[in-house]
Amino acid sequence: MDIREIQGFLYFFFIVFITVILYGYIVHLYRSEKKGKRDYEKYSKLALDDEPTSSPLEPMEDNKQKEQ
Amino acid sequence: MQNPSIEYDYTVAKWFSYLAILFGIIGMGIGVYIAFELAFPELNYVFGQYSLFSRLRPLHTNVVALGFTLSGIWATWYYVGQRVLKVSLKESPFLNGVAKLHFWLYFITALLAVISLFARYTTSKEYAQLEWPFDILVVIIWVLWGVGIFGLIGIRREKSLYISMWYYIATFLGVAMLYLFNNMEVPTYLVTGMGDPFHSVSMYAGTNDALVQWWFGHNAVAFVFTVPIIAMIYYFLPKESGQPVYSYKLSLLSFWGLMFVYLWAGGHHLIYSTVPDWMQTMGSVFSIILILPSWGSALNMLLTMKGEWGQLKSNPLIKFMVLASTFYMLSTLEGPIQSIKSVNALAHFTDWIPGHVHDGTLGWVGFMIISAIMHMAPRFFKREIYSKKMLEAQFWLQTTGIVLYFSSMWIAGITQGMMWRAVDQYGNLAYSFIDTVTVLHPYYTLRAIGGLFYLTGVLMWAYNFYKTMTAAKQIEKEPQFASPMAA
Amino acid sequence: MFGWLEKRPFFFAVGVFVVIAFAGLIEIVPDFAQASRPVVGTKPYSLLELAGRQVYIKESCNACHSQLIRPFKSETDRYGMYSMSGEYAYDRPFLWGSKRTGPDLHRVGNYRTSDWHANHMWDPTSVVPGSIMPAYKHLFKNVTDLETAYAEALTVKKVFNVPYDTDIDGDGKIDVKLGSFDEAKQRALKYALKVAKETKRQDLVNMVENGKIPEIVALIAYLNRLK
Ligand code: HEC
Ligand code: HEM
Repeated sequence: MDIREIQGFLYFFFIVFITVILYGYIVHLYRSEKKGKRDYEKYSKLALDDEPTSSPLEPMEDNKQKEQ
Repeated sequence: MQNPSIEYDYTVAKWFSYLAILFGIIGMGIGVYIAFELAFPELNYVFGQYSLFSRLRPLHTNVVALGFTLSGIWATWYYVGQRVLKVSLKESPFLNGVAKLHFWLYFITALLAVISLFARYTTSKEYAQLEWPFDILVVIIWVLWGVGIFGLIGIRREKSLYISMWYYIATFLGVAMLYLFNNMEVPTYLVTGMGDPFHSVSMYAGTNDALVQWWFGHNAVAFVFTVPIIAMIYYFLPKESGQPVYSYKLSLLSFWGLMFVYLWAGGHHLIYSTVPDWMQTMGSVFSIILILPSWGSALNMLLTMKGEWGQLKSNPLIKFMVLASTFYMLSTLEGPIQSIKSVNALAHFTDWIPGHVHDGTLGWVGFMIISAIMHMAPRFFKREIYSKKMLEAQFWLQTTGIVLYFSSMWIAGITQGMMWRAVDQYGNLAYSFIDTVTVLHPYYTLRAIGGLFYLTGVLMWAYNFYKTMTAAKQIEKEPQFASPMAA
Repeated sequence: MFGWLEKRPFFFAVGVFVVIAFAGLIEIVPDFAQASRPVVGTKPYSLLELAGRQVYIKESCNACHSQLIRPFKSETDRYGMYSMSGEYAYDRPFLWGSKRTGPDLHRVGNYRTSDWHANHMWDPTSVVPGSIMPAYKHLFKNVTDLETAYAEALTVKKVFNVPYDTDIDGDGKIDVKLGSFDEAKQRALKYALKVAKETKRQDLVNMVENGKIPEIVALIAYLNRLK
């Protein structure tokens, strides 16, 4: 097998790979929203609600959040 | 316990904004000058050898791409980064120091680079003309930025990274990789101990060098003119309009789409050259696929304005941003069209290419940087934008300029391409080369005038910004959405 | 998996990097070995030609001129045989250019002469009315930096095994001599004198006879070599 063939195979698998990943990602996005695991759309607030006084949407320390 | 109120530190963002304005004026000033040179060659000799077209062209590309655009990117990064991570640079003296060092080192390198280009030091590779000592400085600058990004992420309060952050990170990584590989060169003085210490020779020869260069050249376009500008629009358009991103999921998907596809399209710069056929074909095919993620982002932005189109009329900043995403769509459609083999056969080497480039750079990159900096100005200075009318006038003037630019270059490019290949009834070439040069005179003139319009707009922008900084009405607190402006 | 990645900026960055680096790996690396083989007959640049090439680069002639003839009839009619990969084996950097404001120069040595170039570079419009190419008068005074050219030749010989001082075609003779700096310089001066005489400009001949090669002479030697 010469380098061209290896290149051809790598290239082919890469195409398959990105197709699977990208479709998988779409499924993931919608499914986790449907199951209520994660609401992706709420992240658009990260830009809108970034005033000096506003508190984080998802603070780093979730535990501390609960204590408050 | 309420979250302690954060005070964002805009110092470095301000500095980079000043620099973006400065480099914008210089770079586009040179651009207008060389555009006039092509129409009126006598202008070549106004400043002796220092105003020759060939000396100034690399200066133009470097100052606008590596001066204006990078400054704009960093101005917004030092602003957006703090805000979406909800952490202030003030909280970390270390990161604050790194940010300032980043700025100063960049400023000094930029000055040295300009001097070195005037003094004929160049490697000749587009967008990588700088000789090796400056390349090393650039690497240090880049590392400093990296420390800044990941440092800030390290001390963030907001757990999830906003989509703009994704794009900034991708910019950082992409440029780092490309720049390193493309600039592999051997300083001749270090090997032989003689000759000019600044001189170096490329690690790659001939076709390989071309492959690496265009892999770089194309992706430098991707990671300097596209990815970070998307980072900007995802923050500034929603923020200025007060509208959430139309579909956050689409923005995530487009991100990965772009990352997967963009790097494969570099082959379109080398169609019909001596690189292997399959690679040219792949370059074409991927260029066409690239429309999908590009339009994904652009449509997402336009749809964000859904139901709020009234703002387009009332707010000039929204005008700039909406037109920017429209131009982004135009150039990401035009690029793939030029990548089709038969079209490329005609278009390559002609003026159509600069025409295409400037749709993107003037309409998309320029407009986004202008509007982002104007959005930040009231927040920087706690003042209103000095003049809305002037902003409106600037918008229309610059839009006219862009239209003149690309329409004249379309005609010029296609005329040129057709004349190069035209044959008479016996199958001999119909035109000598000089015929194809003189015929372009009116288009070159028109383009230069279009460029002048755009440059005038940039000067108005600078004036408006300066007045906002010094003379506009003060405001009490940071506005949340639309930027306040005096009529 | 996706959700996990999105919450971990470090791994996220690694992911992005892998995705973009992979493209380069498959795309570029395998062709390196293939493309760099010189075609038969291609020889490295002599010292003077290399110095001329450096002038070409310093003046950014590639801002307006390409050196890549594409395989179309209209191009081969105008410029000659289309370009082949192996012809560029000693081009560091490559000078294909991206814009043809002026004509392609890859084979200009076939149809232009030293005196034509000298007149043209002094004042393009006097030779080609309507030309928008700038005049390069300063090249007639600047002295060629042979040392840097020699440093480059020696570097590529040492580091990349470019065949200087080698019998490339197997005819028992050394094809392109480099030798020590002094030897190389003497050879360059001799060559420069020939070119200077061809330009029919006495000032250039005088300069070369005084041991100073004007940059224009080196540049013309380079342009003549493009065939
Ligand atoms: C502003 C763009 C521009 C720059 C920069 C430029 N040229 Fe030109 N060149 C042209 C144009 C236009 C022509 C065609 C008209 C003519 O022959 O003068 C041309 C023609 C030529 C020709 C004649 C080719 C032929 O086939 O007739 C040569 C040789 C040449 N240029 C060499 C150079 C060199 C060497 C440099 C750098 C020192 C250079 N040019 C820089 C625009 C340019
Ligand atoms: C997304 C899709 C895009 C595709 C497929 C594409 C395609 C192309 C093609 C085919 C060329 C011509 C190469 C040649 O023949 O010389 C080119 C050149 C160029 N493009 Fe794009 N383009 C795209 C987007 C952009 C954008 C958005 C910008 C800028 C913001 C841009 C900036 C450039 C630059 C700077 C060059 C000039 C290269 C040179 O010096 O000739 N491109 N592009």
